[in-house]
Amino acid sequence: MRKFLTTVLLLAAAVSLHAQNVSDLIISEAVAQPDSTGILDDYGRRSGWIELYNKSTGTVNFGGCYLTDDRTNLRKSLIPKSDLRTKLGPRQVVLIWCSGRGEDGTFYANFTLAPGKTVYLVSNDGRTIIDSLAIPATLPYGLAAYKQAYDIRKQVFEFVDNPEVPSPRMVNGDHGSVTKGELMKERDPHGWILSVVSVSVVFSALAILWFLFWLLFDRPARKAAKAGDASTTLSMTKGKQGKRAVILSEAEESQVAAAIALALDMETDGDTYAAIATAVHLYLNDAIHDVEPGIVTIRRSESAWNNKSLNFRKLPR
Amino acid sequence: MEHILESLTQFWEYTGFANCSWQNLVMIGIGLVFITLAIVKEWEPMLLVPIGFGMIVGNIPMFPGLNIGVYEDGSVLNILYQGVKQGWYPPLIFLGIGAMTDFSALISQPRLILIGAAAQMGIFGAYLLALTFGFAPNEAGAIGIIGGADGPTAIFLSSKLAPDLMGAIAVSAYSYMALVPVIQKPIMLLLTTKKERLIHMPTPRVVSKKEKIIFPIVGFLITAFIVPSGLPLLGMLFFGNLLKESGVTKRLANTASGPLIDVVTTLIGLTVGASTQADKFISVKSILIFGLGLLSFVIATTCGVLFVKLMNLFISNPAKKINPLIGNAGVSAVPDSARVSETVGREIDPTNHLLMHAMGPNVAGVIGSAVAAGILLSFLG
Repeated sequence: MRKFLTTVLLLAAAVSLHAQNVSDLIISEAVAQPDSTGILDDYGRRSGWIELYNKSTGTVNFGGCYLTDDRTNLRKSLIPKSDLRTKLGPRQVVLIWCSGRGEDGTFYANFTLAPGKTVYLVSNDGRTIIDSLAIPATLPYGLAAYKQAYDIRKQVFEFVDNPEVPSPRMVNGDHGSVTKGELMKERDPHGWILSVVSVSVVFSALAILWFLFWLLFDRPARKAAKAGDASTTLSMTKGKQGKRAVILSEAEESQVAAAIALALDMETDGDTYAAIATAVHLYLNDAIHDVEPGIVTIRRSESAWNNKSLNFRKLPR
Repeated sequence: MEHILESLTQFWEYTGFANCSWQNLVMIGIGLVFITLAIVKEWEPMLLVPIGFGMIVGNIPMFPGLNIGVYEDGSVLNILYQGVKQGWYPPLIFLGIGAMTDFSALISQPRLILIGAAAQMGIFGAYLLALTFGFAPNEAGAIGIIGGADGPTAIFLSSKLAPDLMGAIAVSAYSYMALVPVIQKPIMLLLTTKKERLIHMPTPRVVSKKEKIIFPIVGFLITAFIVPSGLPLLGMLFFGNLLKESGVTKRLANTASGPLIDVVTTLIGLTVGASTQADKFISVKSILIFGLGLLSFVIATTCGVLFVKLMNLFISNPAKKINPLIGNAGVSAVPDSARVSETVGREIDPTNHLLMHAMGPNVAGVIGSAVAAGILLSFLG
């Protein structure tokens, strides 16, 4: 008994899930009377057609659903269940030819379209109308009645009063307007994936920078400092004039610290004194690298004014 | 007589008095508060004076259609505003920042770079919270960047991700940058013990000219290859720094760090302020942005301080321990957050100078926030 109930429940769930899926289908476009520019079906005929669109983000199998142009007969044209091609991918369209010859194949309905008719898409239960499209009685030859998504991100399709040139197998809306943000909302609604990935990338970028500078400069410099006099903290070279060693003793270091302290004591909340303190620190440490050579070189530059060949008078030939 | 009355009526309709709403007055009041804070308290005057005055300019009630408003195509303000809207100004400011920044504090202690990365968690904390409050992912990303404590980056990213929220985000970012001492100090004291605050850090070594020249080149290559979408900001930052450190382009560096950045700062401040027109600014969203911005600063500071404590767990040598008071400086509010480290450190030990140490994570924060902005742009832009 329990097994039976479970099976029934599972079947009911499956049926309801299927019904829920097919409810994402809409009839997005229909052409009742194609003109000479209209597309041909697989048999080379020019007949009316309707376009189904899957507005969900999952695949929908519309096999087993019905199409009809008669409200009193919702099971007029069955879409075969056994065809794998009835699985429609997310945001995809499919054409059904309304040639009046349903026996021609899966994508052929056994009725024809005409202006003033309404075409219905009916769920596989044969009772629930999923969507419908009323073809205006005044629809000219060659034009299509259609629904358009003004904002494709919201997937809200509305019937457009003015018929347009048909756009078979094309989604009636601009998919290019789907932003990365919208996609991210679907894929990562709570933001955890983006956050974890982003934090990892920031850490990686800066960690690589740290590692490189530690390996290339910091480590060798510290090793060299250890090898040298322990009481000195600084030793550096500057300019073309030759080596100039700057050595600060512990006492001088404390003077630097005192200079900073003094400057910061004077500081209220401006940047000026902090800048002075930093400058004093850099100066005493001789860490300012822009040492001016004190030599001004004037280079001769050639121009038309001092070019002798141009200034010589040309001899007549 | 009738004609005169008609003309006067027509003139009256064009005046600010006839078109004034309470929202305009509120925004003008906020602008005046900004100017007062900048002049009296000297809180970020370079930014708050232009922004405050811009708010007043943008909220002068006027008859629509005169082609003078910041949102009216072709008006003077609108043309100047394009630099914000299209994101031209922030990279130019980064050029100036690069030309002003001395990365030697960072190069001498490369391990401090990681603190700059940890503090960027404020950005993503705020991003998660903004999503919870119902903001769209692109809006949440733009709001989150407030936690980077970097005005130009916030403007750059919000102009790309959520232009409608840019005014609120920019004002929020700059306001909290001005309030860094008020926000950060209690968190630092709360999260550290007296013993930790007394840690004296070793004197940083002197950095050679070669290292200073190599840093912007290597730094740019690494970060730009990892996050190419951060190119406008990272490229300009490191380019400006190379101009400074190369020593052969002093004039260019001086221009970038002086007149150029001054001009751009003036324009960006004024136009961002002017973009806060009452009808676009006063909303529940703006209030939420201010709240989330504050939280992002709190999260960033907390993460920075806690990360230093975490690092200390792995440092066995007591002489090499890091004072957690420099953790707050991982946010890129240069040099305010580093100064907070210095003043809080000296409150407990007047001989403990943390300024030079704090400048390391501080400038790392500038790089980190630009990288984070690039990542958000690549995911959400």
